[in-house]
Amino acid sequence: MTTRRSFLKAAGIAAAGFMLGAGAIFNPAHAKISLEEALKKHLGVGLSAIKESNEIKVKAPSIAESGANVPIQVSASVPIEKVEALYIFVDKNPNPYIAHVEFSPANGEVFFATRIKMGATSPVRAILKLKDGSYLMAYKEVKVTVGGCG
Amino acid sequence: MASIGRAIVRVPRKVKKGQVFKVQLVIIHPMETGLRKDPKTGKKIPAHYITHVKVYLNNNLVTKINSSPGISKNPYFAIKMKAMESGTLKIVYEDNKGGKWEKAVNISVEG
Repeated sequence: MTTRRSFLKAAGIAAAGFMLGAGAIFNPAHAKISLEEALKKHLGVGLSAIKESNEIKVKAPSIAESGANVPIQVSASVPIEKVEALYIFVDKNPNPYIAHVEFSPANGEVFFATRIKMGATSPVRAILKLKDGSYLMAYKEVKVTVGGCG
Repeated sequence: MASIGRAIVRVPRKVKKGQVFKVQLVIIHPMETGLRKDPKTGKKIPAHYITHVKVYLNNNLVTKINSSPGISKNPYFAIKMKAMESGTLKIVYEDNKGGKWEKAVNISVEG
């Protein structure tokens, strides 16, 4: 026979179980990936293997009004024939990887512009993967007052 | 939401041979991260974003942009191209839910 007390107890346990279950399901989506993990996943190398270079220019606002829509522009004086791809990372985003662009000589020069989401104040990194297997990097710090990662 | 996948492409109508010109593109797309909750129901909104954009000139792949939910809603992309031949610039883009669209514009190279 189900008494009121036992019913409530069972309901309580069920609810707790549901929340635990839900937590387990939702947690991976929220798990933050560090910049280092993202670099290793997409480039196969860590930050220490990437050389800073003034041949790459990252244009972005110093202060972004909204993190939901931050315009960025990357250009580089490295000849396009030597470049394989350009990667964009934002250190403090839940997933720092934003995009990568695979170029061909028909591009003429290294150039990419887009609008990105930023969760918090963070450097925006542009990393060039060269055909000889090396990497070049430049970054710009963008201050975000209202995050846009939802 | 019927307009998801619609795109606006901007290129110069005429370019001189050897000139480097800009290709600009805006795609109407929600770019959901999969982390956001619906404010009314409290339920997670499933991820829905453009995964890649390919730019072809006369069926030769010029550039592939690999995108992620880190790109803003209604994504804007710009690249540059060197004008070597006239032809059709075809832009093909796909999202993570199987959406696939394409848009073509003509480019005329002089000289």
